[in-house]
Parts: sequence; C-alpha cells; structure tokens
Amino acid sequence: MREKTKDLNHSSMKRHIGIKAQTHISNTAIYVILVVMSIVWLLPFVFIVLQSFRVESTYPVGYVVPQKWGLDNYINLGKTDFWHWYLNTFIAALATAVLQTVIVLCMSYTLSRFRFNGRKALMKFILILGMFPGMLTMIILYRVLADLGLTQQNALPGLILVYVASSGMGYYVSKGFFDTIPKSLDEAARIDGATRAQVLYKIILPLAKPIVIYTILTAFMAPWGDFVFARYVAMGTPSGYNVAVGLYSWLTIDQINSRYTMFCAGGVCVAVPVAILFMCLQKYYVSGVTGGAVKG
Amino acid sequence: MRKMGRILALVIVMSMCIGMVLGLTGCGKKDDNTTGTNTYDVTVWVAENAVELTKQQIANFNSTNTDGITINATVSAVGEGEAATNMITDVEAGADIFCFAQDQFVRLVNAGALTKLGIAATETVTANNDASSVAAVKTGDGSCYAYPLTADNGYFMYYDKSVISDSIVGSLEDIIAACKANGKNFSMQLESSAWYAASFFFGTGCVSEWTLTEDGSDFASYYDTFNSDKGLAAAKGMYKLLKSGILVDTTTVSVSDFAAATPSAVVISGAWDYTKAVEILGDNLGVAALPSFTVDGTTYHMGSFSGNKLLGVKPQTSPERAAALNKLALYLTSEQCQLERFNTLAWGPSNKNAQANEAVQANPALKALIAQSPYAIPQGQVHGSWWDIGKALPTAIKDSDGSDAGLKAALVDYENKIKELFKLTPEEKRAYTIIGDINGDTWSIDLPMTETSAGVWKTTEAYDLVAGNQFKARKGRSWDVSYGNGAGNYVVETAGRYYIQLTLTGDSGTIELIPAE
Amino acid sequence: MKQYSDLEYLKLSKWHRFILKIANFFLGIPMWFAHLGIKIWTYIKKFGIAVKDTFVDIYETFQNGDYKTRISFFIMGFGSLARGQILRGILFLLFELVFIFYMIFAGAHWLSLLPSLGKEGPELNSHYDPNLDAYVTVYHDNSFKILLYGVLTIFFIIALIYTWRLNIKQNKISQQILASGKPLKRTKDDLRSLVDEQFHKTLLALPTLGIFMFTVLPMVFMILVAFTNYDGAHNGFSNSLFHWVGLDNFKTMLTWTSGGNSYSAAFGEILVWTLIWAFFATFTNYFLGMFVAMMINKKGIRLKKMWRMILILTIAIPQFISLLYVSKMFAVNGIINGTLMKWGWIQEPLPFWTNPTWARVTVIIINIWIGIPYLMLITTGILMNIPADLLESAKIDGANAFQQYTKITLPYMLFITGPYLLTSFTANMNNFNVIYLLTAGGPANSAASSAAGSVGFTDLLITWLFKITTGAESQYYMASIIGILVFVVVALISLIVYSVLPSVKNEEDFQ
Repeated sequence: MREKTKDLNHSSMKRHIGIKAQTHISNTAIYVILVVMSIVWLLPFVFIVLQSFRVESTYPVGYVVPQKWGLDNYINLGKTDFWHWYLNTFIAALATAVLQTVIVLCMSYTLSRFRFNGRKALMKFILILGMFPGMLTMIILYRVLADLGLTQQNALPGLILVYVASSGMGYYVSKGFFDTIPKSLDEAARIDGATRAQVLYKIILPLAKPIVIYTILTAFMAPWGDFVFARYVAMGTPSGYNVAVGLYSWLTIDQINSRYTMFCAGGVCVAVPVAILFMCLQKYYVSGVTGGAVKG
Repeated sequence: MRKMGRILALVIVMSMCIGMVLGLTGCGKKDDNTTGTNTYDVTVWVAENAVELTKQQIANFNSTNTDGITINATVSAVGEGEAATNMITDVEAGADIFCFAQDQFVRLVNAGALTKLGIAATETVTANNDASSVAAVKTGDGSCYAYPLTADNGYFMYYDKSVISDSIVGSLEDIIAACKANGKNFSMQLESSAWYAASFFFGTGCVSEWTLTEDGSDFASYYDTFNSDKGLAAAKGMYKLLKSGILVDTTTVSVSDFAAATPSAVVISGAWDYTKAVEILGDNLGVAALPSFTVDGTTYHMGSFSGNKLLGVKPQTSPERAAALNKLALYLTSEQCQLERFNTLAWGPSNKNAQANEAVQANPALKALIAQSPYAIPQGQVHGSWWDIGKALPTAIKDSDGSDAGLKAALVDYENKIKELFKLTPEEKRAYTIIGDINGDTWSIDLPMTETSAGVWKTTEAYDLVAGNQFKARKGRSWDVSYGNGAGNYVVETAGRYYIQLTLTGDSGTIELIPAE
Repeated sequence: MKQYSDLEYLKLSKWHRFILKIANFFLGIPMWFAHLGIKIWTYIKKFGIAVKDTFVDIYETFQNGDYKTRISFFIMGFGSLARGQILRGILFLLFELVFIFYMIFAGAHWLSLLPSLGKEGPELNSHYDPNLDAYVTVYHDNSFKILLYGVLTIFFIIALIYTWRLNIKQNKISQQILASGKPLKRTKDDLRSLVDEQFHKTLLALPTLGIFMFTVLPMVFMILVAFTNYDGAHNGFSNSLFHWVGLDNFKTMLTWTSGGNSYSAAFGEILVWTLIWAFFATFTNYFLGMFVAMMINKKGIRLKKMWRMILILTIAIPQFISLLYVSKMFAVNGIINGTLMKWGWIQEPLPFWTNPTWARVTVIIINIWIGIPYLMLITTGILMNIPADLLESAKIDGANAFQQYTKITLPYMLFITGPYLLTSFTANMNNFNVIYLLTAGGPANSAASSAAGSVGFTDLLITWLFKITTGAESQYYMASIIGILVFVVVALISLIVYSVLPSVKNEEDFQ
C-alpha cells in the first residue's frame, strides 16, 4: 500500500509540472490515430467511386485511378434493368419503413404500457423464437409466397409482406424507449377522460419522435442490402430483382468482366442516398441504439 | 368484462387467419399461360450476353415455322449455374426453356426438371451432333433429356506472350519458373473446382467413369482410378503448382486476372473468355493447349474435361405445348442458330455441320480446344457430389507434406468419400458381387450373390455366358478384395447358362460355374 | 466447495468472486434440474386439474343452461345473438361457418394426407403422344403443401376448440349477469372497449398474427422437416414425394461417417470456430469501439462530428457493396498484396484468404471495420451519462487515465451493456453477411467437407446451414437439424449468461 501511495504522489507531481505538455502529446497521438483510421475507413469507398468513373475498360483491374475518366458507366446503367431494380428496392424500403414502424410501435407500446394476462409469456415466447436461425425458414417462406403468387415478377409485394410480417419481434429497442417515458403522464390523461387510444396519439407519440425516426430509418435501410432472400423470391426473374440481387448478379463469372465498373457505379448510386439519409438522421439513430443497448 | 374483449380480439384474429387460409388455397393454381390455340407464353433463361440473340432467334422461329406456332417469349439473363439451382429449387417456377452446363444434367434429371425428348427429336439430335455431345444428353437407357447447345465447354491456356516465350509454352515447370522470375501469377482453379482439378489426373491416365441407372435418376456404379500410382504422379504434379506460391485459385478466376494488381501471366479458362482476353492483352495474347508436367522423369500432358452447354425443356402437362417447346428448342440448337451464336458470341458449335464451317475451324480459342482434344476426356455423366469430393482433393494434397505417404493418404481419403456416395449397408459391404463383360454389360453393373453356406456365395440368377466372357467377383462393390482366376479375370471357356459360385478358403477364392438345369 | 460468510465473501477479490459465481452456477445445475423437474410436475398437475375443471364446468354449464346456452353448444354464438349481443354472436357464428366450410372443402383433404404426406408421386414423362412426338408429365400430390396446410389445419382446429370453449364460458357468464338483473354489454360497448381498456388487443392483433403466420408456422414446419426425408431427390412434388422417417436423420447426424469424418465431427469443428468467432467479433468491437468513442469524446479533440461521420460510413453503406469490394482487395492478386509487393515489403503474396489461420484472423479484423462504428455510437451515448463528478473526484484522488478507465468507466459500461453483449454475441454467431460476402466460408477444409457440402475453415453454423440447403443434394432435413442445434446452443449460452449476470434488470425500475 505504501509503495502505491508513493507512486501516486510522484505521478501527481509530474502532472502538475507538465499537464499541458502531456495533454498536447496525447491529443496529437489521438489525432494521428483518428487520421489513420479515417483513411482506412474511407479508402475502400474512395476506390469504389474511382472505379465507377473508369471508362477505358470494364473488367476488374489492379490500379485504382482511372486512366480515362467519364460517366459512361452511369449512363450505361440506364440501358440495363438497374433503375427498375432501384425503384423496386425504393418502394420496398418505403413500404417496409411505414408498415414496420406501425407494427413495431404497436407491439412495443403495448408491451411497455399494458399489464395483461399472457404478457410475460408472449415476451418469453418471442425471445425463444428469436433464438432459431431465421435462415431456416427461408425455403418455406419462399414456398408460401410462391403459393400466394407473390414471387418472380410479383416479388415486390411478397418481399414487403415478409419484411413486415415478423417485424413485431424486434420490439426491444423501442420498448426500452417507451419504458423511459413516465407512466404518470398516461395516468393524468386517463383521469382527464382520455381513452387509451387517445393517450397514444395525443401524448405518447409526440414524445416518441426519436424512436419513431430510428425505427423508420432502420426499416428503410434493411431492404437495400438483402441479397439472399430477395434472390430466392425473384427466382430468376430480373423484373423482380432488388438492387442487391441485380448488382450481385453482375459479379457472377459470366458477367463480371463486362459489368464490373457498372457494378461500382450502381453501388455508388445505392450508397450515396442511403448514406446521406443516414448521416442526416444520425442523431436519432444514436438515441435508438443507445437506448437499445442499455435496455437489452 | 376483460374476457369479452379477449373473445372479440381472438375472433378478429381468427377471421383474419381464415382469410389467409382461403387466400392460400385459392391462389394455388397457376395457368399454363396458353393465350391462343397455337400461341404460347414461354419463359427462357440464357446467359446475359445471349439474351438479345435468343430473342432474335425466337422471332425468326415464329416467322419461319410451318406449324403456325407463335412463341411469346420472355427471355431473361440467368447464368447457367443459377438457372440449374433455380430449376432444382422450384421446378414449377422455373423457366420453360433454359441453358445449363453439362455437370448439372444428372441433378436436373433427378429433380424432374427436364422433359424427355420424343422419338423423332431424339433421332434428329443424335444424327446432327458429334458423338460426345450426344452422350452428354443421354441417360443409361438411351433416352435424351436435353439438346446440345455448344461443344466448347472445355479449358485450355491463355498466356501473356511477353512473359511466356513460345519455346517454354509446353512445360508447366518452365512456365512456373518464368512467372516467378517476372513476378507474375498463374491462374487456375484447383481447390475451387473439381472440373479443373481433374486436369492433372486425366493427364497421367486416371479415369473417373460413372454409369447411370436406366431411368437416369441415380448412379449404378463407378470406375475411378485416382487412387493409384498414376494418381500419385498426378498428385505430385499438382503439388508443385499448389505450392508454387504464385497460384491464383479462386472461384472468380478469369482472363481479367491478366489485369489484376499482381497480374497473371497464365490463365486456364475456356472459350467464353476469348473476346475479353483479346481486349485485355491485345497482341500479347497467346492461346495454346495445356502444358505438360514432369514427375519422376516422366512427362505427362495435362488433361482436361470436354463438355457441352445444353438446352433443357421443363416437363409439360399439355402435349401441344410440349411439342411446341420441343420444336423451339430443336430450332435454337440447329446448325443455323449455332452458327449465329458462333458469329456473335464465339460459342463453339456441337452440330457436326456447323463444326465443319471454315470460320469455326479458324477461331483461335476453338483451335486451342482442338489442340487440347487428344488429352480431353468427354465429360459424360458424373455424380453431383463428385464435384464436391473432387474439389476437396487439391486441398488435401496442398495440406499434405508432399511425401508419397502424405499424398497417398489424400487419395485414399478421396476414394473413401466416393465409396460413401453409394452408402452401402453393412450387408452390402460384406457381400460379394459379380462384375464383368457378361449379361450384356461392360464392367459397370454388380450382379448380386447370396451366401448359401459359410464362405460360399452364389449368384441369385443364372446367366447366359459366352466363351471368352470375362468377369470377377468382388467384395463390397469395391476392388479392395476381388477374385477371378488368380489375380486375373475369370474367363468363360464353354458357353452355357450358369450360376456363378465363389468359394472362399482363407485368403483366396475360387470361382466355379454351375450349369443351370 | 468452501462456504463463505458474507463478510468473507466481501473480502475476496473481484476475480475470485466472479469465479466463485461461475462455480456456483455449475454446481447449481443439478439442483436447477431438480427444481425444473418439480416445476414441470407441478405444471402437469395444475394442467390436469384445469382440464378436469374445464370439463366439469362445461358439463355444468350445459346442465344449468337455458335453451339459448344449450343450442350454443352446437351453433356457436346463438346465445349471444338471442341475448342481443349481435356483433359477438355474428363473429362466433361466422367463425364456425368458415371452419366447417374450410374443413369440407380443404381441411379434411390436407388432414387425411398428413400421416402419409401424399400417396401418388408425379408420373414424369409418362405419356407419349406419337402424333406430336412429345412426352407429357402428370403431377399428383404435393408433400410440401400437405405438410404446410396439414399443420395449418391443426392450428385451425385448436383455435376452433378454444373459441368454442370461450363461447360456452360467455353463455354461462351472460346467463349469470342476466340472472342477477344487470344489463349485458352491447355491441357499442364492445367496440369502444377495443380502443380503451382492451386497446392492447387491438394493437397486438396484427403484429402477433404476422409473427404467427410468418415465423411460428414456418418454424414448426421446419422442425417437422427434421423428421422427414425432404431433400433435392425428394422434393415432394416434381420428382418424388417425401415421407416421415422418424428419428433416422438424428441417427445420421450422430453416426454417419465417411473416411473418418462425420456430421457430428464437422458440426463440432464448426461450432468451436463459431464460438471463437463470436467471442472475438463481440469483444474486439466492444473494447476498440469504446476506445475510439473515448478518443473522440476527449476534451480538446476537434471536429468530433466529422470523425464520427467518417466512421459510420460502414453502417450507412450496404454490406454487399463494401464487403464484396474489401474481399477482392485482400485477394492473392488483389490491390493490397499488389501494393505491398510493389513497395518491396513482401516477396510473396500474403495468404489472406487461402491459409486457414490467416483467413480467420482477417475476417475478425475486417469485422472490426464494420463493427466499431456501432459500438462507438452506443458508447458515446452511455459515456455522456457517467456522472462527471465521479470522474472528477477520481482525478483529484490522483487516479491516472488508465485507472479511471478500469475503476469507473469500464465497470459502469459493463453493468449497463451486459444484456447488449449477450445479444451481440448471439447475433455474431449468426452473422451470415460478413462471412458469406468475405470468404463464402473458405478456405476449404478437406477433412470436414465430405459431410454435407464443402465445409470451409471460416464457415459458421449459419453459413453451413445455407450451403446444405443450396448445395448439391439440398438436404433440407439436415439443415433443419442443424437449425435446431443452433437454437439449443444459443439458448444454453443465454441461460448461462443470464444466470451469471450481476443484475437481471427489473424492467419496472425504469418507469
């Protein structure tokens, strides 16, 4: 113990002497680390953007900076189904965002605010259900959709249905948020004669703006990256592809050499709007994930 | 009062379920999409670069056919691999006509995704295409299940002339040395694909032959000699390339490796890459047959698979529609269409007349294929799981220590995996069977025997044997334990109808012919 | 095991306490099972009593019922209609009618075929038309649909029984209310209660229906598939039907061998890597993410927003674009190896994707690239909540930055994010995207691959499952078994962690 005290005294003395210099050194070190990290984080994306402007060849090459710059790849996207896929994905994302938000809010608000028979059982049941790998149900979901006639050229409504249907299981984050809104607010309103429904619309929802936006944002972003299930549902019908499936098909062995730079251009077209949207709504995303992490 | 609400909620939920259920059962049936008497809505899956041409060819078919058939086609870009996977996953949703590579043939027949060709169509296909292309579409009983589309599904060597000089183009060792000296790579799929990995084994004279059952739904037997001295030589050759440190071995090996960050000087690929190869390397592009490799003083020319791309028609429930689709498929694989395909896409024809065409004969990629052809093994029909097993073999060779014992262990493991495909029951593993050129067979079908008393096995049936017929008895359908006349085959001396009996005594077995009454 | 008194326990070091806790957990397992056994037995007894009571109640209701109640036993909702509760009556009646209609026209058919999963397979290319020179195929039963709708029908029957029981109960209650001279609830009241005291039922109706139809039903189906021979060669419709095979597949999983390899060995090998991967993927991200957040949050660091913006690009951009590109960058002939060789730092390309150990380390490192930003965002939020005076007083006491971190920040973080770590661990176990897009499971593991498809060294259970369903033999039944085993593993881990965690939070605390 004595030794330790001595140590502490020593270091505190040192701190008094060189506190400014020390802060300066550590800040510089941090800046260096941050700059290096930024380069590592940005590099792949910069490379993709650069490749998308390469017009001298269409296959993957070993250099990054194009020898000849141009917009050919972006223009050529118009000659393929790309914008159709883009529209498909956009509609799916939009519909999913709206419907999923409604469902998740219904679920999480109910589980946060109401105490009813079977509530605990329902939550436990959903927890256990979530432990099964979702990949397992892919084949059967495909068959069900095929039976409903919602595959291939009709893949879009089918995809939306599947994205939305089970979204109630992801109620945790927003339930955590609702849990933090004091119950006394509800009770006061109830005493004033408001129905439960009115409490939700008039009091809770305005307060829940961050979590609503968080839910919309995450729901909107998910369909852009689905390349496994969406490929199943489209089952070889290009008009039913989403961008992920379409772009992925350009990287297959028989297309990569003629479509590689277009893949990069398409990737940029997908990434830029999504990234901008994300950046703008970042604040809400943070409040969402933070809340979710805290409440488990 | 809470209870009442629950009832209501439940009833609402249930009525929604009902709606769902009714919806589910109601929408089950799909139309055959037959819009008019002779007009058919058809979906077609072909590779991306063939879409436009196929559309045009179908339009030509509509205007020229004499049966008044009009095909209303939706042609989609679905690659050969994905087309086969999709068809196997869901035949109902699959395309009516689709293009696929030969290695998927058995899987597709198995999945019920291919319609049998009519008698006349079978005759046309057999007459117009070269022999190995015809073999590629037939099952054990001689029925055709697909139409040969190309005969260029083989591989050869693209190389960079500025690195590989003409004098060393025939030697794998020299090529590897030249690549290393120039800091270049060597692109070939080995661990990524059994189709390419077989090259070394075919080069040393190994075979892997598979016999289909009559209905084509499964395999009756196989004859595979990878686990042998020849196979060991092949493994040694492959080991050199695997350990060269310059091998690029990914599923995406293609001629664009010539332009990678560390460029390759050699790419083993097929005719489909030719146009791009010219674009990338220009005048420096060299095209040649595969090189030779030397093991223990013996030189072997690397072998290859030669195979086909095929056109398949999905089974149909209406005879008129089936007939129309078959006519279209026949047209799309005709001499004229194959030549058009050669002219626009450089796909090598399987049609004999088209093959004789001068332009076809002059094409450098097809020339290289022809140069490779003496060493190429027609693909025939191979068990679907063989592609996985064959793919694991190079990995096992690479992971071994390179010694004879290590390589041998990899080959033994390979053979065991193949044996396992036949999933013999313990009884079958124990049982002896007769195999040979008897009963109209050629060493492919095991004739069953039963144990009449301890150590005595007798065939269940009597067979008509001809003088000069040869056969052997073997245990567990493998060659680990087999008896003939000493080490050789048993040769029939007098023709007749016999039961065959095997008597085991210690380490040896004696074969006798017992005349049937 | 030594028993500690409270005082002794408090004197122990943190690690000692932690180890003690874990030891207690494992020692407690037999007791836990004993408790579980007792619990289950109590449940069974309770259930038995409840069933008996239900039957008695139904009997008594019939005995004591008026004619309205008695007719309701056969025509559901009759009592409600006769007593003026129109909406309820109509709904009950409608449900019964729809049920009868469904059973006659579809349900009975599916149910009768469920035990066999279909009688007649397709007649492939069976009829030859010599005039047209064409073969025709005739399709018959569809095992897949039989299983699906058979299960659905069973659910439907259970729902009917439940509703019928409610209908009986309701008649009894209505009769009692009327007997006591009070009025019954009218339709208007029912509707109003759905937006008020019964509002939760309105809200939950749609989400739970969705979960039932698109998660529960498929799960039940896929679990049942483990007891059939459903695979590529028996796809149930276009080649041949599939049938029940009992426990055969489980036996195969345990005993099937090929050249010394077996499913169970392959499963074990992949499971071990899956756990290693999940551990590193979770904790590297956790600590590095926290570290980055603390660096950016440090007083005096400028452009905080910009740094964050740059890092979260990996969240904002779809993974199939970024990871596919990164995977190519690390290839043998990719840009990273090319550049390093050009600079003369290496002579031979680094085997990022071709050497098992390299590949495993590389996926973990690239996962950091994907994962740090999430953790950075989470920790940024939480770090701001650490009471400033706590850190300030620690500083005054002379704690250096590292001590502040280990004594205050880290325990606080661990306490708050405990449950998150668990969910993130199980999510990483099922992290399909990162593995599939980067390596597709490779490099190949020749020793394990004979058992079902080509197994690679970076394959997780989830990618293996995917390979089995899409591979050469499409063994859906094996995928189903693996899925069930994944569930068991995840459930077990969750159970252990929840038992060891210092505080399983009481959700009411937050309100």
